[in-house]
Amino acid sequence: MTISRRTLLVAASAAALMAQPMAAAAQDLPRNVRMVIGSSSTGGDTYQNASILAESLSEHLGINVRVDPVGASEAFKALARDSRGTTIMMHHDQSYLQELYGIEGSPDIFAETIVGPTISVNPGNAYLVPADSPYQSMDDILAAAEAGERVRVAIQPGGVSEIGFTAMRNAARLRAPGSEANIVPVNTGDQADKNQAMWDDLADVINGSIQANEQFTQLPSDDPTAMRFIWITATPETLNKAPAEGLGATSRDDMLAYAAPAVSVPMTADENFTFDKEFFLMFNPETDPALIQAIDTAMEEIYAKGAIQERFLSSFFTPQYRPMAEAQEHLQSKNNDYETIISDLKSE
Amino acid sequence: MDLLAHLLDPWFIGLIFGGTLMGIVFGAIPGMTATMAVAVCLPLTFSLGLVNGLALLLSLYVGGITGGLVPAILLGIPGTPSSITTTFDGFPMAKRGEGEKALKIAIIASVAGGLVSLVALFFFAPVLAKFAIKFSYVEKFLIIFFALTVMAALSKDMLLGIFSGVLGIFLSLIGTYDITNGGNGHTRLIPPGMDYWLDGGFALLPVLIGIFGVTVILEEAELGMPRGQSLKDIEVGPHSRFSFSIFKGQTLNLLRSGSIGTFVGILPGVGGSAASILSYTAAKTTSRHPERFGKGEPAGVIASEAGNNGLTGGALVPLLSLGIPGDSTTALLIGAFALQGIQVGPLFISQNIDTWNAMITAMVISNLVMLVTMFFAIRWFAMVIAVPKQILYPFILMMCVIGAYTINYGIIFDVWTLLIFGVFGWLMVKLKLEVAPFIIGFILGPSAEIYFVKSLESFGDPFIFFTKSWIAAFLWVLIIASVVMSVILSRRNRSDGAMRT
Repeated sequence: MTISRRTLLVAASAAALMAQPMAAAAQDLPRNVRMVIGSSSTGGDTYQNASILAESLSEHLGINVRVDPVGASEAFKALARDSRGTTIMMHHDQSYLQELYGIEGSPDIFAETIVGPTISVNPGNAYLVPADSPYQSMDDILAAAEAGERVRVAIQPGGVSEIGFTAMRNAARLRAPGSEANIVPVNTGDQADKNQAMWDDLADVINGSIQANEQFTQLPSDDPTAMRFIWITATPETLNKAPAEGLGATSRDDMLAYAAPAVSVPMTADENFTFDKEFFLMFNPETDPALIQAIDTAMEEIYAKGAIQERFLSSFFTPQYRPMAEAQEHLQSKNNDYETIISDLKSE
Repeated sequence: MDLLAHLLDPWFIGLIFGGTLMGIVFGAIPGMTATMAVAVCLPLTFSLGLVNGLALLLSLYVGGITGGLVPAILLGIPGTPSSITTTFDGFPMAKRGEGEKALKIAIIASVAGGLVSLVALFFFAPVLAKFAIKFSYVEKFLIIFFALTVMAALSKDMLLGIFSGVLGIFLSLIGTYDITNGGNGHTRLIPPGMDYWLDGGFALLPVLIGIFGVTVILEEAELGMPRGQSLKDIEVGPHSRFSFSIFKGQTLNLLRSGSIGTFVGILPGVGGSAASILSYTAAKTTSRHPERFGKGEPAGVIASEAGNNGLTGGALVPLLSLGIPGDSTTALLIGAFALQGIQVGPLFISQNIDTWNAMITAMVISNLVMLVTMFFAIRWFAMVIAVPKQILYPFILMMCVIGAYTINYGIIFDVWTLLIFGVFGWLMVKLKLEVAPFIIGFILGPSAEIYFVKSLESFGDPFIFFTKSWIAAFLWVLIIASVVMSVILSRRNRSDGAMRT
């Protein structure tokens, strides 16, 4: 059998097409996409989630997606500079909470960017007390505030860390107006600072996470660094999607015992406050809508395959893909809810 | 898999060799750092697995910290921020033809410092971590303050030195008082119209390589085209030859500097550069010949390098015992654990004994690889000074620009920072301001501010700095001793100068 040059060319073309099945869908996308993230840490949950998504997008679209942990301020600048679609941004609820809390230079993401699909949830946002704390529950904390006792809460101001603190104050206000003044912030930096504030007896409650603090909850109670969970802010729906074995020695059932509805931090008279820390994409508003749609479609296909869900779950994150339109509506609704609580507390 | 299995695993050993060599190269190129080397290789840990990934990253860390001594000694440009104090005596030694000797001293001191810290890490990690949590904002501020007192000790003219240091602190505070550090998120000290570029302030590495690298190039450019050095220039005469007898009487310096490096490492947030600065100050203030420091004193090189390599094990103590990184590079290591879904916290060592043993093994082997490689490659490293300067300096400038641009993942203002501070450093020399105190002020300024403000915010009492604990009282003793020694030294220098005239 003789093989003509044309046959070889056809075979090579077919092989190339088979090797890159998504090339057609990705043909308009740049070959190199920079995913800037709102954190400058490579050890945090933002980098982890971004890495998982970037790897999946790279494989699926046959392009190179690189994660750059430049921090929120530089990430927004980089996104604003680039309308070609070569720069996209990934961040979480902090991106709109910062603006609600009035942090200088924070953009309104709903006006200045195109909010894209949601990716995943970190169900780990939590509040902890020292192992020997007199507070056994959130109810104890709210009762203490009502009784005029000062409860010091270590947070990093202006974002995810503060929203639970705001919810505590809101719950105290609902329970006994004026008692919210007894729940006071201790402004710290990163998780190390919050832990240290507890160990220095500068804080009665600290914001933390299941991932960062779980091992401290397993220490003997006479250990000076031992802690206890007192509240996990995630919704029960999100926690129920986590692996049953949970994380470390804390099972999913253990976690549910610290979350709503088992723990009640009222947001309104008949609704508990919950908070899921959600990761999502953002785009430059002048980017070609076809490019944005191509990424949204690619994500839908990636999540339909199911492999990415395993990656997220193995790192104790909950996969949560919402198409762009649905994600925009969902995040705008969250923003509005929190805006109401924050402004109600500010106005008093 | 037990320890022996790791030692027999060619992949594990190969990664340590490769990582150490790559780290040395990164550290040795001005503008590249150990942190950058670890950041570049971090995504590889996805596919390498935890133990092999950590072997690679830890070797990069050890190699990168050590590699910084090469340009510090041969060119007067610190390869990494923690090598700044190595330039103080290493470069003068190289200029008087003792480059090879200085390099060998620095390498041995590095290994000694690294091994001291590994012993501390292996045997005392949980105990040291428990001790580290006794350091609140107040004690951390006093440590930084103690390190800042070195500005006076390092100055040729004390007043000008202190002025330069305060200028460094002032410039380091430009930008946002970041909420991630517990600040209020407000900007300050930014000239009108510069908010867009300066809201994050001036980044440390571009400032550092601008002040040291670009300034040196500008000064050389002023001299025109002098005769290039030759390889013979790095080792002139038998008196400059390296011999182990140099370390006679330096055991205490080695142990003390390694211990200081380890100790600074275990305190999260104090910053790696403080390790070598404090070690150097301790060596100078306790020396019988403090006047020789800054002029090519081997004890200064020993203190600096044993101190910064002491950091490598120390910074892992809080990481592996509390889940809190001790410096910027170990902060990247947390990423390796996180990407593998491994929790790092107080139970890490007891629950991951195999990984723990593998990490210690990797660091010991990496230190030995570093010793052998660098000791026998010194002639090759030293060849850099035989490269004609019209070729060498453009190459260094190019690497500085690349390093400045990549350190924060592609921010062009960092390149401008490099050039601005290059020219600024050149002007400082012309105005007789002092570069070393300036850069120390710039490095330590932000931490000093945060811990000072947080101390006052948390305790609400200005006397808390004196009354907080016995540790605070002890640190005040050290601070006062350092200041008194600096004053005595300054007066002695002045009277020596007067006698000569």
